Amino acid sequence: MSLILNIAVDGIAYGMILFMISIGLSVTMGLMRVINLAHGAFALLGGAAAHALIARAGLSFMAAALLAIMATMAIAFLLERLVYRRIYGLGELQQVLATIGITFIFIALVNRLLGSSLLAIPLPDFLQQSVDLGFRVLPAHRLAVILAGAVVIAGLYLTIERSRFGTRLRAAVDNRSIASALGINIDAVFAATFCLGAGLAALGGILGAELLPIDAYYPLRYMVLFLIVVSVGGMGSITGSFMAALALGILETASRYLIPDFGTIVFFAAVMAVLAIRPRGLLGKA
Amino acid sequence: MSVQEIPLTTIRTRIRGVPLMPEAVMLALAVIAYFLFPYDLALLTRIMVMMLFVLSLDLVLGYAGIATLGHAALYGTGAYAAGLFAVHVSADPVTGLVVGAAAGAALALVSGLLLMRAHGLTLLMLSIAVTLICQEIANKARDLTGGADGLRGIRMEPVLGLFKFDFVGRTGFWYALAVLCVCYAVLKVVTLSPIGLSVRGIKDSAARMVAIGSPVYRRLVTIYTIGGAVAGVAGALAAQVTQLVSLEVYAFNLSAEALIMLILGGAGRLHGAIIGTLIFMVVHHIAASVDPFNWLFIIGALVLGIVFFVPAGMLGIPAALRNLTGRNGDARP
Amino acid sequence: MNNLVRAALAAAMATLCAGACWADTIKVGVIAEFSGPFAIYGKQYKEAIETYVAQHGSQSGGHDIEFIYKDVGGANPDLAKTLAQELLIRDRVNYLAGLTFTPNALALAPLIEQSETPTVIFNAATSAINKQSPYFLRTSYTLWQVSTPLADWAYDQGIHTVVTAVSDYGPGIDAENAFKAAFEKKGGKVIDTIRMPLATTDFTPFIQRVRSQAPNGVFAFLPGGPPTFGFTKSYNENGLAKEGIRFLGTAETEESNLQALGDAAIGLTTAFHYSEAHDSDVNAAFTKKLGELSAGAVANWASVGAYDGTHLIYKMVEAAGADGPKAIEAVKSLKWESPRGPVEMDPKTRTLIQNVYIRDVERDKDSGRLVNREKGVIATVGDLGWTD
Repeated sequence: MSLILNIAVDGIAYGMILFMISIGLSVTMGLMRVINLAHGAFALLGGAAAHALIARAGLSFMAAALLAIMATMAIAFLLERLVYRRIYGLGELQQVLATIGITFIFIALVNRLLGSSLLAIPLPDFLQQSVDLGFRVLPAHRLAVILAGAVVIAGLYLTIERSRFGTRLRAAVDNRSIASALGINIDAVFAATFCLGAGLAALGGILGAELLPIDAYYPLRYMVLFLIVVSVGGMGSITGSFMAALALGILETASRYLIPDFGTIVFFAAVMAVLAIRPRGLLGKA
Repeated sequence: MSVQEIPLTTIRTRIRGVPLMPEAVMLALAVIAYFLFPYDLALLTRIMVMMLFVLSLDLVLGYAGIATLGHAALYGTGAYAAGLFAVHVSADPVTGLVVGAAAGAALALVSGLLLMRAHGLTLLMLSIAVTLICQEIANKARDLTGGADGLRGIRMEPVLGLFKFDFVGRTGFWYALAVLCVCYAVLKVVTLSPIGLSVRGIKDSAARMVAIGSPVYRRLVTIYTIGGAVAGVAGALAAQVTQLVSLEVYAFNLSAEALIMLILGGAGRLHGAIIGTLIFMVVHHIAASVDPFNWLFIIGALVLGIVFFVPAGMLGIPAALRNLTGRNGDARP
Repeated sequence: MNNLVRAALAAAMATLCAGACWADTIKVGVIAEFSGPFAIYGKQYKEAIETYVAQHGSQSGGHDIEFIYKDVGGANPDLAKTLAQELLIRDRVNYLAGLTFTPNALALAPLIEQSETPTVIFNAATSAINKQSPYFLRTSYTLWQVSTPLADWAYDQGIHTVVTAVSDYGPGIDAENAFKAAFEKKGGKVIDTIRMPLATTDFTPFIQRVRSQAPNGVFAFLPGGPPTFGFTKSYNENGLAKEGIRFLGTAETEESNLQALGDAAIGLTTAFHYSEAHDSDVNAAFTKKLGELSAGAVANWASVGAYDGTHLIYKMVEAAGADGPKAIEAVKSLKWESPRGPVEMDPKTRTLIQNVYIRDVERDKDSGRLVNREKGVIATVGDLGWTD
């Protein structure tokens, strides 16, 4: 019984971290249909900026996180205007290449500025405590991530499914020319969405850093993990990503409790099985 | 991808003019390189192994349009098969290559049955997953493969019983060049054969090929299996030349770099794969000895430049220049 | 075959074999990581070599010594071998050095055997490497060398039950075998052996499994960087220390990532051959010079491995110039005072016999930084993993 409870608690906590680190990608890749392998690069930017602001400039965690996310969004905005705008229309292979190119440049940049060792983002004291759940303890920062995940999914649901902005975005993705003819400012919608995706990537990078620590190679090291969450969830579906993150988190945690020796093989076999049965992911749209 | 048509037709006419002209030039250059760079035979051999690997990716991706990021799975399996064969059965190099080809083809066939049903992102993910599973199996089977330490104890017999592998790498060079030429010729025949033409049709429009009664799925699996055999040969060749196989043969980087090399040269043409690999490996070699870490800046910029300015790769540069200077055409698709 | 090429190659080979007769510059090829996820190792090797050169001059025994650096980018035996061939044939180096990963070192064995090139391994820690060629010398350590004394020490401290948790790959399994063998020989009990996939990012399940078995200690081995970071965080957050489950490690608290671990690292116990905080004049001079040459540089196993490796090369050049077999013979039993303490080459294994220290992570009062504070020497041993 306690085993099942442990799996549930750790699985959900880990799933939420998976969700937080890949939600930015769900936005850029899932909603905007750009195969954005540079997602991790934005998470890296956010994390590295937060590290620099806390460790070198002495800011508090909250202030540093906020500034780092804003800085990442500003860079994303420039990049969207200069580069990504030209990527939207390309074939998937070209998108893969272009975003890998961007990733390489950011890795080299962070390495140049901050070196290639781990860039720690020290948590504030209240997040470093452990919370007693009765049958076991759970680190406070995992509860914070669960909370942040809930806020993000609620916010995204309201923005994308319920607001005028969301309607415009979906229209713009489905058919650019008609949306444009209807008077939707496509450029602005895409720029805003891309910045949102990059900001969420930075947030995920910072909040997930306790498990997936930031260093220059972060984008390549965890790229497959991000991609798995989004592809299993299904392109174009925020809810799908959420469910996929939770399911994968629980699956991986369960395999680590029960059959640790073959955890990796089981995990990838499960991913392959899902994609073989549902090529568009759990909740993918055509 | 309308751009690719432009150079393709030019090349076709050129081929009609002088048969196999690009191939003859490349072979001549390889022989000249042997005499010009006698101290770099090991590097040249490595480049040829990579060329073979990228050629196989070209068949799969450039011709058949199968977007994969897991080509290393086939390469690595060929390498381990040839390595294990050399350690436990026979150290004859040529037989080893055949074993590598068979292993690569077998994995391609089995995984292809699943992969060829998928497209786009799903296909990319599935191909990555296959590679990671292979790597984990090789890591787990430590008693057989040596795990993270690498599979050691590969000692090759002379090629054809005549040429011993030497310290400077002369035998390795000619051996790799011969294998490369044979595989190139095979691929040339495959691409010009009915199946080669039909996968090209599938790449342009799968729906149309279904409509005219072509067994699309079976054709793709067949091409993927042939590609697997060639990738397996490349892996086997690497294993024989290095005399060691490590888990890195399944590295994601290998698949990604091969993709970059292919696009750099120009996908969909065999000599595009050759040129792209050559340029990438030479630039890497120079950059790595000058300033290793900042090499990532260069490769990043290079990749972006290719995607935006010469999407047809290096082979597309003449056409792009013509477009720029002459007719007021659009260089991009 | 072209006569010109043949002549050039003959000349190249001649230098390899008997270059000492006329060459007054001895070249050393360093194959290491200067790019990719492990680029920090190459940087540290280079810093340490430059520190040694700054302290001892660029000459030894009347020969100038020149270092040529090549980037191998990670575990990549194909490239390692190609680079070694290039160094030996084109650059005509007389010595090779570097080598962080076992496959890279193994790939060189047939080459250096033929060219009789002494090759100093700065890290690659699998015992079996040195058996592949008599030209390998190693200035790092092997996992058996540090894990075995740790097991003995732990038992003597009253830690009688242990769970081992290692990353599921070659070095991890070596560490597990070494620890288990020594601990059980002492009479201790290894309750459970956990092998964690390399790709693990969330270690909570493994930590919970350790916790539920309530051992006296947990012996861990993970590769440096993110896995170590995640494991030690998890160990701390789940309150294992409070429940009296002692952390027993080796390289986990190495200096290049120690500051990133933060306060969570305080109190972690490790057995290892080098600490930046080692209290000796040689180490003080080494770390001081290192800091002067490269601002912000930290000294760790990679630095000291390269520093001692450079010392070994200097001694070989002094004794034998470019004569490989003679050079190996000259240093096979060499003794010297290293920044890690007194060391001695073991002629059989060509790996160092050295002190293994037990250390606790503490925050240094003066600098405010985390350090590995040595509490004592628990063994002076060579490579215990060597089997004939």
